Amino acid sequence: MATVIPVDMWPFLIFCVVVFGLLGVMLVASWYIGSKARHGGAQDIPYESGIVPVGEAEDMRLSIEFYLVAIFFVIFDLETIFIVAWAVAFEETAWLGYGAAAVFIGMLLIALLYEYRTGALDWGIKRRVYEPGRYAKVDSA
Amino acid sequence: MLWLVPALPLLGSVVLLCTEGRLPKMVVAVVGSGSVGLAAICALYVGMNVVGTGEWQYTETLWTWMAVGDFNPSITLYLDGLALVMTGVITGVGFLIHLYATGYMWEEEGYSRFFAYMNLFVFAMLMLVLGDNLLTLFLGWEGVGLCSYLLIGFFHTDPANGYAARKAFVVTRVGDTLMALGLFLLFREIGTLEIQAALEGATATWPEGSGINTAICLLLLGGAVGKSAQVPLQTWLPDAMAGPTPVSALIHAATMVTAGVYLIARMQDMFLLPGPAMHWVAFVGLVTLFISAFTALVQTDIKRILAFSTMSQIGYMFLALGVGAWSAGIFHLMTHAFFKALLFLASGSVILALHHEQDIFKMGGLWNKLKIPFVSMLIGSLALAALPGTSGFFSKDAILLTAYNEASYGMLFWIGAVGAAFMTSLYTTRMILITFFGEVKTEPHDHSRINMWGPLLVLCALSIGGGWLGFMVLAPYMGDGGVAVEFHAELIALLTLGVPLLGVLIGYLIWGNHAISIDKFAASNLGERLRQFFFGGWGFDWTYDRVFVNPFVRLAQVNKSDFVDLMFTSIASLTTAIHLLVKQTQTGQLRWYATNMVVGLLVVVLIVIVQA
Amino acid sequence: MTLTDLWVSFPLIVLVGGTLVLMIGVSIVRTHKLALGLTLLTLILSVAAHDIALENITTGYELFGLLNVSGIQVFFNVLFLLGAIVTALFAYPYFNERMERCEEFYILLLTATAGAMVVAAATHFASFILGLEILSISLYAMIAYPRESHQPLEAAAKYLVLSAVASSAILMGVALVYAASGTMAFAELNISPESGERSYFLLGQALICVGIAFKLSLVPFHMWTPDVYQGAPAVVTGYVATVSKGAVIALLINYVQATEVLSYTGVFYAVVFVAVASMIVGNLLALLQTNLKRLLAYSSIAHLGYLLIAVLVVNTARPELVLETVLLYVAAYFIITLAAFGIVNLTSEHATEDNEQMEAYTGLFWRNPLLASVLTAVALALAGIPLTVGFIAKFYVFAAGVEGTAWALVWALLIGSAIGVFYYLRLIYTMVKQVEPGAAALPQVGTQSVVAVTVLGLLIVVLGVYPTPMIDMIRTIVQASGF
Repeated sequence: MATVIPVDMWPFLIFCVVVFGLLGVMLVASWYIGSKARHGGAQDIPYESGIVPVGEAEDMRLSIEFYLVAIFFVIFDLETIFIVAWAVAFEETAWLGYGAAAVFIGMLLIALLYEYRTGALDWGIKRRVYEPGRYAKVDSA
Repeated sequence: MLWLVPALPLLGSVVLLCTEGRLPKMVVAVVGSGSVGLAAICALYVGMNVVGTGEWQYTETLWTWMAVGDFNPSITLYLDGLALVMTGVITGVGFLIHLYATGYMWEEEGYSRFFAYMNLFVFAMLMLVLGDNLLTLFLGWEGVGLCSYLLIGFFHTDPANGYAARKAFVVTRVGDTLMALGLFLLFREIGTLEIQAALEGATATWPEGSGINTAICLLLLGGAVGKSAQVPLQTWLPDAMAGPTPVSALIHAATMVTAGVYLIARMQDMFLLPGPAMHWVAFVGLVTLFISAFTALVQTDIKRILAFSTMSQIGYMFLALGVGAWSAGIFHLMTHAFFKALLFLASGSVILALHHEQDIFKMGGLWNKLKIPFVSMLIGSLALAALPGTSGFFSKDAILLTAYNEASYGMLFWIGAVGAAFMTSLYTTRMILITFFGEVKTEPHDHSRINMWGPLLVLCALSIGGGWLGFMVLAPYMGDGGVAVEFHAELIALLTLGVPLLGVLIGYLIWGNHAISIDKFAASNLGERLRQFFFGGWGFDWTYDRVFVNPFVRLAQVNKSDFVDLMFTSIASLTTAIHLLVKQTQTGQLRWYATNMVVGLLVVVLIVIVQA
Repeated sequence: MTLTDLWVSFPLIVLVGGTLVLMIGVSIVRTHKLALGLTLLTLILSVAAHDIALENITTGYELFGLLNVSGIQVFFNVLFLLGAIVTALFAYPYFNERMERCEEFYILLLTATAGAMVVAAATHFASFILGLEILSISLYAMIAYPRESHQPLEAAAKYLVLSAVASSAILMGVALVYAASGTMAFAELNISPESGERSYFLLGQALICVGIAFKLSLVPFHMWTPDVYQGAPAVVTGYVATVSKGAVIALLINYVQATEVLSYTGVFYAVVFVAVASMIVGNLLALLQTNLKRLLAYSSIAHLGYLLIAVLVVNTARPELVLETVLLYVAAYFIITLAAFGIVNLTSEHATEDNEQMEAYTGLFWRNPLLASVLTAVALALAGIPLTVGFIAKFYVFAAGVEGTAWALVWALLIGSAIGVFYYLRLIYTMVKQVEPGAAALPQVGTQSVVAVTVLGLLIVVLGVYPTPMIDMIRTIVQASGF
């Protein structure tokens, strides 16, 4: 257990030092060079392309559907990549590959069904799956 | 099957403790005494089987806790002749006493609690004698101590009883500490606490005897002395009479106080190695038997007379062990259990009939009013005084003869023992004459039923016939040839026979027909002083109070703030301080946590790089 | 892929298939009872499927070069499945009372369990990371499941961010190790002392260790633990504390045995540092804690530190003793922890917030003796008092430490345990204290959870008094797995 740092570690150490040094320099430099802004007045108002903002930030709710659609896109897009990769190697993977891909696509279908039925694909008013007894409680309340 | 013997009383105890007195009294009585009764039947059955095999040894592993490498703790029951006798006494006599107690305690508060403790005691005592490991034995040892404490202080509303219980606990604890030291030493030297292995190891390691062996033996003797109320740790036993009479009969006469005898008999191979240990045992026995016989002579409380008598009889057993008369000592243990239990239970009946009057000078003339207690007491006394034909005679005779034959101090032992035998018959006669004869001083109201006088009759039979039992059952049980009455030295045999009779005769002359008057002597200055001295148990309590108790109390007062404790509290406060410090790191802020992770990562990387 | 492959992977297939069925079920009709039933059915079938898997393996079975299934993995898998069953049983009354849509929780529970099973059997970085991410992502959602309340969301966010840091450390480590050795299969990972890439290799190993230490909440990567334990619903906390950590422990012991990574001095000392720090700091942090969930979090930090001793002596003690210790400890830890959070959970069933303050347990002995007895058994077992399963486990660790002559670790174990006794006894003391007259009444509890908790409590005591069957079983498994 030599306490001497091995020779081939030097590049890595220097790399570390440079990274942290650079970070430090950037932080310290921006502190000195940057303008010392005083808070208050226009400083606290969000900048929206030169237009004075309307209302409070909390009122500006974006519909959750935007997010949902985005994430669905990412997920299904990623899965397309897998399928494309399999398609390229279709000959080599043969029936086993075909089976695996079928299972994979089957899973996607189930997921799609689930999303459809939970109303994740609806925009605006949600349809909901029948939930026995649940609405009775709400209705009577 | 053997496991049932300790398991049944434990079960009884658990049932009674869990129901906390919600059961009707009748059920409590059945559970309390029945569990011990069933245990006795099981013990009998197992005993017959073990005797039948002719092996005289039986091991039953109940339970192996876990096996990790060499560490293999298990609880194993070991039954041999010695353990069988003890088991028989504990369950058999124990059952009779439990049965008696169902009647005796009927009117008392905490009926269920009483039987729960009693059953627990029987369980602990059985673990003590059946354990094949000194650790199990020690657990049982502490268990019986605890039950003894609980039962002495059973009538806890009177602070004096609580004090007596505490005294018993503390004094025996002195012995227990010595014993624990002995066990530690044994474990360090031999490396095992399994009894048979330890004995073999000891005989193999120190065949020539050794200072360490003697030290271990003496430490064990210290434990035995504490538990068995021998000099110098005997002072707790008379006070222990504060407990209910069945407790005195079971714990402080028949079983627990003989645990010391059992311990020494169990470890006999170590005591037999060359060294002075055996003589110490004999001397302890001799001194105790002498001192307590004199003390018993002047007591006025019937239970205290019996208590001192118990100490003295256990002194005989120690003497027997010390001179190598192992089977005679155990034989005496058994017969003593019979007749002393009988004496206690009979005296209990008398006390109950006289509305808790225990002073013999307030009794008198009871012989034709309390017939069964009287007959029982008489038979018990005959056996205690070792009159020929009774069980006590055979066992005591065997001890005296072996003592006489002992090589170095035989004559001294014999003279002392015979002298004490004389004293024994003297105080026994005094007790019987004053209690049952003379004019009636208190009118008795006997309302005992079969569950009380039944056990008395059984114990009567055992007290008389127990000697024969000894020949039949005990004879082959140990290597020293068992118990045999040999009349080789005519004069010695004659003296041994005659001395108790002489004691009875003189006793009768003094307290019976008043032919010899001791009034003048008693009234004289010297007589009064002697009486005081004997009455107070030879000043042991007085001395201990001044030498140990008072200085200790004063020390405790000085050290109120507890200097030693400071060390521990400072550790505690240091830990708390560090806790308060590290607690600050738990800020709940994500950025701080992430920063810390990165710092930790750097530390780990640093360690890896530096050590690479 | 052969038929044997199929049979050996059958438990996992059953589990995933069950998850899909459950998803379809939830899509068609939403009933909480049906979801619970399907979940339990899936879990039980998966347990049963291990029997089929066992018939097809001798000492171990290599699946696709990614997973290795042996008796040890089967043991862990069954533990995870049983843990999931208990979690599902606890979850039903808990969510039924306070949530509108509870069914997705069970889907997450099943996927998390599948992830745990993959992690435990992984012999390749690909399967390791895949399993770990399936497990972790399911856990984020499970922690945040009561999405109306503030605390679970906060806990999930913290766990997500910090877990991402740990995952990136692992990924970076894997990249470095791969760069140095050119392989991602555990068994082939080694590097000659003269190799120029040795430093990258060690650096990579250090980063992987950091990631694993985070998942096991070891000091100094432990800070998320109390916050997440406290914020998550008690059922989920129990699951995080047992299944997710158990999976990583199984992976760790696989990993150190396959790669012999601890024979590199630097890595060894780094892990020793982590272990000692966990044992001491974990216990110190718990000392005066008044929140039961946080207390259990700190206690778990210390306990995983203890368990690390067994991992650290992997090169100096007999391998079968090491494995026995790990298996026994994990099993004991599962039982104790599930019982602990089970009690927190079931006293919170009808409350709006989790019943987590220790004050709430004041005088529990006089109010609900049964629960108090179980919680006492839990506290004693965590403290390692004899005649509880906790003692057996701790004793095994101790024996392993002694056999591996890791004296510093054994000392840390003793010091840590000594500190630990204080706060475990404080918990018992709280329960024995007399109830003040004005104290709030104890929440009502449902029967099925009480039964589950009582069974766990009994196991703690019974396996502590008579552990031989369990020890024998574990010994047989270890021997059958070729050790």
